Amino acid sequence: MNTVASMKPRKFPIIDTDVHHYNARKSDLFPYMTRFNAERFADYGYGVQNSFAFNGGSRGRRVDVVDEKNPAPDSVGAAAYDVEDTRRRLLDGNSIDLAILTGGPGQICSTMMDLDYASAICRAFNDYSLEHWVAKDARFRYALHINSSDPAGAAAEIDRLGGHPAVCAAMLGCGAQRPFGHRFYHPIYEACVRNGLAVAMHFGAEGAGTNPPPSAAGYPSYYIENRQLRPSFYAVHVVSFVFEGVFDKFPTLKLGMLEGGFAWLAPLMWKMDLDWKGLRRQTPWVKNLPSETVKSHIRFATQPMEEPDDPNALKHIIDWIDGRRTLMFSTDYPHWDWDDPAMTLAGYPEDLRRRVFCENAIETFGLTLPSMSQAA
Amino acid sequence: MPSKYEVCFADEIPAGGRRIVDAAGRSIGVFNIDNRFYAVRNSCPHKGAPLCLGVVEGYVTGERPGEFTFEREGEILRCPWHGWEFDLKTGESVFNPHKVWVRSYQVSVETEARVLATAEAEAADPGIETYAVSVETVEGRERPVLYVHV
Repeated sequence: MNTVASMKPRKFPIIDTDVHHYNARKSDLFPYMTRFNAERFADYGYGVQNSFAFNGGSRGRRVDVVDEKNPAPDSVGAAAYDVEDTRRRLLDGNSIDLAILTGGPGQICSTMMDLDYASAICRAFNDYSLEHWVAKDARFRYALHINSSDPAGAAAEIDRLGGHPAVCAAMLGCGAQRPFGHRFYHPIYEACVRNGLAVAMHFGAEGAGTNPPPSAAGYPSYYIENRQLRPSFYAVHVVSFVFEGVFDKFPTLKLGMLEGGFAWLAPLMWKMDLDWKGLRRQTPWVKNLPSETVKSHIRFATQPMEEPDDPNALKHIIDWIDGRRTLMFSTDYPHWDWDDPAMTLAGYPEDLRRRVFCENAIETFGLTLPSMSQAA
Repeated sequence: MPSKYEVCFADEIPAGGRRIVDAAGRSIGVFNIDNRFYAVRNSCPHKGAPLCLGVVEGYVTGERPGEFTFEREGEILRCPWHGWEFDLKTGESVFNPHKVWVRSYQVSVETEARVLATAEAEAADPGIETYAVSVETVEGRERPVLYVHV
């Protein structure tokens, strides 16, 4: 007993709910495409320009992770997405027990004009990810890439791969033609419920392709401006899920919002609750206080965590949103603005840390720890 | 009294180059800026990232939107994680020099036991120790060795 305890310095496992993986080369996806699509992909790639070509770090990634001297010859712009490197550096190096792989090109595919081409890339990326990432390590879980602009096609892809034991969610971007609570998208949620999957939402492709501009006032000039808009990306969907009655229609559905932070959430919940008291009769299918619906169904990944001058401010925010229930840890590895698990919520009570680092993610995504089965 | 740790031969770090060494139980990056050597701790004061693996570039300034000017080329170290910038010559951060800084260390270039170049202080803020020596001042046939004082 003592030996085991001394070998395990942590009292709870770490689950990382947002880890980005990618195909290093375009050609990695060819085996999973028809000949025609492989030729198109080789020549034109995604064929959609992301509205934010600029980023931080080195092309969005941690400089110490990117090997700029050895980019793949036909690199899609991600020189150092390597499964062995990720296993060693992220999982082993940070003692992470489970990591949800979030890719990925799904958001940009959902902004393409050619729905079939977009869905074909999603399918190819899913097959590639399961074979070349998920199969390589029992600690990987996977958020399925779907073309959300084609809900019926997305549902078919969820039915095709939703039964895979490592698949725990279907992914949405934040950029969209409609807020994601809209009934247009409900076939996706129906398929998720049918397959026991959560929905994961990760910003990306706002303002790109067929998506509207990333703000109500059009396109900002700078990447740093785009980052400040993120809470608005997520807020529009929180509000939509609540008032379109998605969780009343799909009571077991869970939504994980990744890489949007959480400091913005409390005032939104206060405002929704106040407005609902006076306007409830206009959306009578919303049976519960909006903040209660949020706390029951929506979870927020911690990264990128705000760093107020007064650390107590963060404690208040976590209390206001019932962070014990609503927060899930994430690193966003290998991106430059990642959060280090060793530095995240250090000094917070053990009970809160256990919920945030482990239990909330298990409940949201229906996860089983590999160490649980091995421990016996 | 700091102890002296051998880094490498001085000519093994060319201008614009760097080497990361372990000395006194800590990781330290030694940088050659125009043939003068500077050393800072390989740990970012923000989140403990391996700072010295970051990009070394100039100090970018701009008086109005759309204007970018590079100054002090090769003197600013940008953290590989969250991009915080540090002045390699002083260890001071660019955005808040007096409150956020990385520890810097004295560097000397010596041949055998004879110290040919003594450290020279450059720091504007006496609270931060920064020293630099020029490799060009080294005389003699012996191959000069670089030391960091920790």
